[in-house]
Amino acid sequence: MALSSEQLKAALPGQLKAPLEKLENAPWYLKDLPTYLKAFGMLTVIYIGLRLYQGEFAVSAGLDSYEPAFEQYWMRLFYIELVIITLFTTGLWGYLWLSRDRNLDSIAPKEEIRRYFTLTMWISVYTFAVYWAGSYFAEQDNSWHQVAIRDTPFTANHIIEFYFNFPLYVILGGSAWVYARTRLPLYAKGISLPLTLAVFGPFMILVSVGFNEWGHTFWFREEFFAAPIHWGFVIGVWFALGVGGILLQGVTRLIELLDGLEDAP
Amino acid sequence: MSATISNRSFRPYTGEKARISRAYDYLILVLALFLFIGAFHLHFALTVGDWDFWVDWKDRQYWPLVTPLMGITFPAAVQYVMWNKFRLPMGATLCVAALLIGTWVTRIFAYHYWNFFPINMVLPATMLPGALVLDFILMLSNSLTVTAIFGGAAFALLFYPSNWPIFGMFHVPVEQGNGQVTVADLFGFQYIRTGMPEYLRIIERGTLRTYGQYATPLSAFCSALLCTLMYTLWWYIGKWFSTTRYLNKI
Repeated sequence: MALSSEQLKAALPGQLKAPLEKLENAPWYLKDLPTYLKAFGMLTVIYIGLRLYQGEFAVSAGLDSYEPAFEQYWMRLFYIELVIITLFTTGLWGYLWLSRDRNLDSIAPKEEIRRYFTLTMWISVYTFAVYWAGSYFAEQDNSWHQVAIRDTPFTANHIIEFYFNFPLYVILGGSAWVYARTRLPLYAKGISLPLTLAVFGPFMILVSVGFNEWGHTFWFREEFFAAPIHWGFVIGVWFALGVGGILLQGVTRLIELLDGLEDAP
Repeated sequence: MSATISNRSFRPYTGEKARISRAYDYLILVLALFLFIGAFHLHFALTVGDWDFWVDWKDRQYWPLVTPLMGITFPAAVQYVMWNKFRLPMGATLCVAALLIGTWVTRIFAYHYWNFFPINMVLPATMLPGALVLDFILMLSNSLTVTAIFGGAAFALLFYPSNWPIFGMFHVPVEQGNGQVTVADLFGFQYIRTGMPEYLRIIERGTLRTYGQYATPLSAFCSALLCTLMYTLWWYIGKWFSTTRYLNKI
């Protein structure tokens, strides 16, 4: 039975109600805070769920890609991921584009401040996805390939890392870019170089998967993490430093906007 | 077109404006934490990688050379933004602390709990003392040149001694099959890594081995020289990436 948010709130214990109510009454500049926190929660559940799935089925069904169980537990997950990623991209980017602001010239300063907060939340969700893809599951790839002899590019960790985590952070980074371009005047007038670098540079990591798998297939079966075969990923992630420029652009504009606002208690 | 950085005289916000400013700070803190864990860890894992993953790769020759050299990169770039633009003397420490969080989480949940490597076999090294000194020197000197020479050198030279209390015990010799190996080597022999045959283990190659006990200080001083150069290079990379330009087309 589905619960409405009102019913859900009524069913919660007292300790949980207070922060929930506080969130709902968040000030105008944090209007999107509940959505931001929900996005963090959902991503955490997805990533931990995928890790638990690996713990359950990687050894039992993920060591030999010629086994029928591999097709059932791993390749099926791979196809499901492709469908989810495709639908999610279409839905999210489609929504962001179709709901764009067509009157950016008449945007009120307070609304612009709120949108800068929301853009920062988008980039924050993007960096959270970068954490899982670039830190946890990336190094876990080394761990798994030290206990499983790879006989396919679609190993139990690659199916999660390369074909779900990488596309997901690309989608979220792209969403931040589209959000800025369609809702903030400065980003609509010109194309922000640091935002573009911070989104499109790490996108090249996804493209580097092709070089990596080509190299591992024809040239270098072993897993030596510091080897040049992996340096395409390294160069891609340097571009995440563009976030420093985004921060400077945002802070500069926020100071201008705040200076223009009347002081309030 | 580029954003003009405000250089107005400092006037602290009060009331709602102060709350807005503080809320933005908190958002940036969360954003930066995951950014630096994710980005710096990927860079580090794919350049230093194996020397940091495995206890039997932590040798006297390459480990003290490669780790600080690749580890000073992001700290230098982030220091440029945090010190030059925000006067926050914590860029290096933030990066290295974020890296440590990322590596520890992975070593425990990916290496130990998933694939049953003993945690002692996959302990990460620390660069925290060097990072603290790097931030300290930048704060006191407010100079790229001084920080590159003294901070960069200190970052490299402090690496081996600050890790010795953690890893020294694994360099104790033991007898195995009528031969002498270290405890670290024994880990490697007991826990076979299918993806990394013995010939890939790059430890103590070349004539530097013949210098005996001088191998480590020689590597550390070589790393110190390279770190001064690497620091400067990455300071400018940080500067370049923190551009505020808007383009007409891409």
